[in-house]
Amino acid sequence: MTYGILIYAHNNRTVDYALMAVISGGLAKKHLDQPVSLVTDQSTVDWMKGSKIYNRAKNVFDQIIIIEKPHTNNNRVLHDGLTSKVVPFTNVNRCSAWEHTPYTRTLLIDSDFLIFSDRLKEYWDVDQDLLIAESANDLCDISRLGYQDRYISDVGVKLNWATTVMFTKNENTQLFFNLVAYIKDNYQYFADTYRFDVKQYRNDIAFSIAKHILQGFQTSLHGLLPPILTLLDRDILHSVDENRLTVLVSSKLDSNYCLSVLKDIDIHVMNKQSIVRHSDRLLELI
Amino acid sequence: MLDHLKKALEFANYQQTFNLQKKLLKEKMAAKLTIGFNGGVFNIDRSLLVFVEQLVLKGRTSGIVLLDANENPVLIDNLEQFRDQCFDRYFESTNEYFNQNQQLKKSRSVEKLLEQ
Repeated sequence: MTYGILIYAHNNRTVDYALMAVISGGLAKKHLDQPVSLVTDQSTVDWMKGSKIYNRAKNVFDQIIIIEKPHTNNNRVLHDGLTSKVVPFTNVNRCSAWEHTPYTRTLLIDSDFLIFSDRLKEYWDVDQDLLIAESANDLCDISRLGYQDRYISDVGVKLNWATTVMFTKNENTQLFFNLVAYIKDNYQYFADTYRFDVKQYRNDIAFSIAKHILQGFQTSLHGLLPPILTLLDRDILHSVDENRLTVLVSSKLDSNYCLSVLKDIDIHVMNKQSIVRHSDRLLELI
Repeated sequence: MLDHLKKALEFANYQQTFNLQKKLLKEKMAAKLTIGFNGGVFNIDRSLLVFVEQLVLKGRTSGIVLLDANENPVLIDNLEQFRDQCFDRYFESTNEYFNQNQQLKKSRSVEKLLEQ
């Protein structure tokens, strides 16, 4: 059995996902003691070379797997504290992780998930083919999460978060990832059936539906990774000092912020620009 | 602004940060109380500790099946070894939580809270 971590990164004009992947991958490698591979595209690699992060990437990543950048019209509103903009979002090929991974047991993580603990080590040898994060766990208060972050719709099944997915490469998980791909390709149909908002493709939704279907159309406690401690994109990563992340948290999602410090804990930082702003300090931690 | 109102707002800010730091301490403890064993994953809590200790006291120490956090049955060959690991992890985590919580309670300003 080979163990490893897999991260996808496709840059766009606004967000440097490759840089985030180097940080996220470096932290995962450091705290989980397993190799990390990157799945990316040639234009992102060219950008990495131009921005002088490529040598760092070669040190962090066990393999850099170059694929064709998927075409997508997916857009999302990305907040950076109080400001926001609509940006393209290339997330439609996560369903190919089964095919792309070089490992037999893979932890698939988002590039904005920063690992500062060894908690996920406990799951490598769990005797389950597929594990997905149970839910999001808002750093501040669950009331900040809307139903779309807890359920796939107001009448739909519970939303698992594809921020962390662990799987063993076998026939069962191949079936799962093929089903995720089918849901992605027929997103409108599944949106009508499961009554979710179709305007943006979300891996969380496709993975949750696939899991629900393969469990016999039932919700189950089986196959869950810990809830994802999440810093929303209205919150701001203020500074990085040694292993401490100082963050500004808006409890009411308005302009009133309070301070908090995170240390030795895994965190999903949805404000991607604030990761990029502090990339120099974060890179020192890997 | 009225003085007492200003103090109340300052305290509200302090309390918000205090609550966040306390939540983070609990999260860290919960993370450390998760243990993978023999293909299962267990949340170490008082009921698990008491149940396992009770089994050991009854002399049932090998070939024991326990339900893990995902409700899967997991065969534990050596229950004493599992018990010891769980107890070690439990006391390590709760002692750390206690110490950090004591520090938190002594911190009477936002700045002090953030020094933890």
